[in-house]
Amino acid sequence: MNKKYLYYGLFFIVLIVLPFFLSSRWVSVAITFLIYSTVALSQDIVLGRAGMFNMGHALFFGLGAYSTAVLNTVYGVPILLTIPVAIILPLVFGILLAAPIVHLRGDYLLVTTIGFNIVFTQALKNNIFGITGGPNGIFGIDVPKIFGYSFSSQTSIYFMAFGLLLLTLFIIRNLETSKAGRALHYLNEDSLASECIGINTRFYRLFAFGLSAAIAGLAGVVFAVQFSAVSPEAFNFLQSVLFFTIVLVGGPSSIEGVLLGTFFMFVLPEIFRQFAEARYLIFGIAMILIMIWRPKGIWPAKFGRIPKYMFKE
Amino acid sequence: MALLELRDVTKIFGGLTAVDSLSISIEKGQVYGVIGPNGAGKTTVFNCITGVYTPEGGKIIFDGKDITGLSSHAIANLGIVRTFQTIRLFGEMSVAENIMSGRHSKSRQHWWHGIFHTPGSNKDEKENWLKVREYMELFGLMDYATLPAASQPYGIQRKIEMARALATEPELLILDEPAAGLNDKERLELVDTIRKVRDEMGITVLLIEHNMDLVMSLTEYISVLSFGKKIAEGLPDEIQNNPKVIEAYLGREEDDDE
Ligand SMILES: Nc1ncnc2c1ncn2[C@@H]1O[C@H](COP(=O)(O)OP(=O)(O)O)[C@@H](O)[C@H]1O
Ligand SMILES: [Mg+2]
Repeated sequence: MNKKYLYYGLFFIVLIVLPFFLSSRWVSVAITFLIYSTVALSQDIVLGRAGMFNMGHALFFGLGAYSTAVLNTVYGVPILLTIPVAIILPLVFGILLAAPIVHLRGDYLLVTTIGFNIVFTQALKNNIFGITGGPNGIFGIDVPKIFGYSFSSQTSIYFMAFGLLLLTLFIIRNLETSKAGRALHYLNEDSLASECIGINTRFYRLFAFGLSAAIAGLAGVVFAVQFSAVSPEAFNFLQSVLFFTIVLVGGPSSIEGVLLGTFFMFVLPEIFRQFAEARYLIFGIAMILIMIWRPKGIWPAKFGRIPKYMFKE
Repeated sequence: MALLELRDVTKIFGGLTAVDSLSISIEKGQVYGVIGPNGAGKTTVFNCITGVYTPEGGKIIFDGKDITGLSSHAIANLGIVRTFQTIRLFGEMSVAENIMSGRHSKSRQHWWHGIFHTPGSNKDEKENWLKVREYMELFGLMDYATLPAASQPYGIQRKIEMARALATEPELLILDEPAAGLNDKERLELVDTIRKVRDEMGITVLLIEHNMDLVMSLTEYISVLSFGKKIAEGLPDEIQNNPKVIEAYLGREEDDDE
């Protein structure tokens, strides 16, 4: 346990000093890594922990990003004040969309969520309500300002994204050591047995969707700020496939696994950019091999982390 | 007043009437047995009581409250908890986490404590883990605490399931063939445990069992099912000598279960 804190401490220190050593292009990759890690960790709440095959997670990420983009560029709302909307709108949508489908078996749920995602990107492309900017999206999004300080430098945006990841890790750590978090694992492993010991499985499934969508929405804000633009492609079905794959390749329910998965699926392809399309061949094969040899992911989840006081007198 | 009462409960699967207008009544503090040949509908009755199935007809009254058609978790929260004929554990999770699941309904944490802890939720978390320890000690499971439930031997898995059910502090414990697959020593332990559950914890027990010795030594009152109907009820001695019961069992022959 202490060792674990040490590793996390080291990891955080590396993340803190990182932007001072990287070139601008790589800081940009690092920022997106932090944002994608957050989205993948939120996807993991539904997919890994509660075991529901959500293949439309980019929808909630996009809903957050577009909330900020639209409110800021169309209505002139300062970025910081868009945050509550960028959390609550995905949250509400997450629960409303999940309500009629959470009881569905994995494959049916998967197809339905793909459908949601496609409808979402089509709506964006068709400039719904005349505010989403159509296929080109929205440009010229502001930077957040707080007490006269504006997050305009790349480094300050990096630390904003770092803060986002820290907050997410904090929430997930709390989730893991709570009744609600355990309920997700129970209903994932045996829904009937969970019901029969008193767990309202439907409630906790919706809880998972709501929490997951809210975190993804918040990540969307930082994403919109990073590029000062949003466009439908950034939130299409293929993007959902990426988040889905990150969780499965990295290790469902495993924080370390999801972080590694994001590195593997997003940062590595950037590093090997010079190999152009050929790199995807390698990645495709690597994904297949990982799933065959490590079906529980690169860094599988560990259960049985029981508080120490259980074993003391 | 009876703790649990079934009035004319009927459950139909397609053309098959698995439970046919069954009425039974279980008093508080009883160890009540339901026996009958394979396929008689015993498990289906339990599934109706615990809300897994909704009966086509009849009423189920628990503690004076009509629970017919309630969801399983609502029924569990009222104090009826069961074990399964084929064990159902959270296989990948540790033994301790399995038993902790039984604390779900007693824990005072709300959903938002899954996002932010409070001093109150931390205290509640600790209290419940310590309760889990009590139940693990009771069943001698401490050595298995951190191991995955699915990889434990059968006898241990039965204990885990029972500990999980008891951890909910139920009023009525329903056991579906708790001795299936146990060896003689484990079966004696089970008899002890069930006695303890009733005498020391004050929990009413309703059990299905194939093993006649166990039923006769443990239960105070028995109903016998055959083809979904109650063909006899009474004290163990009366049941043992009831010609209808003997015929129901002999007529089908001792086919070993599962
Ligand atoms: N879910 C189900 N669908 C269809 N038939 C069922 C179902 N569950 C049980 N049955 C049938 O109902 C009858 C009673 O089964 P069950 O309650 O399991 O008997 P017992 O527990 O006494 O051995 C059997 O004929 C069984 O095949
Ligand atoms: Mg049965």
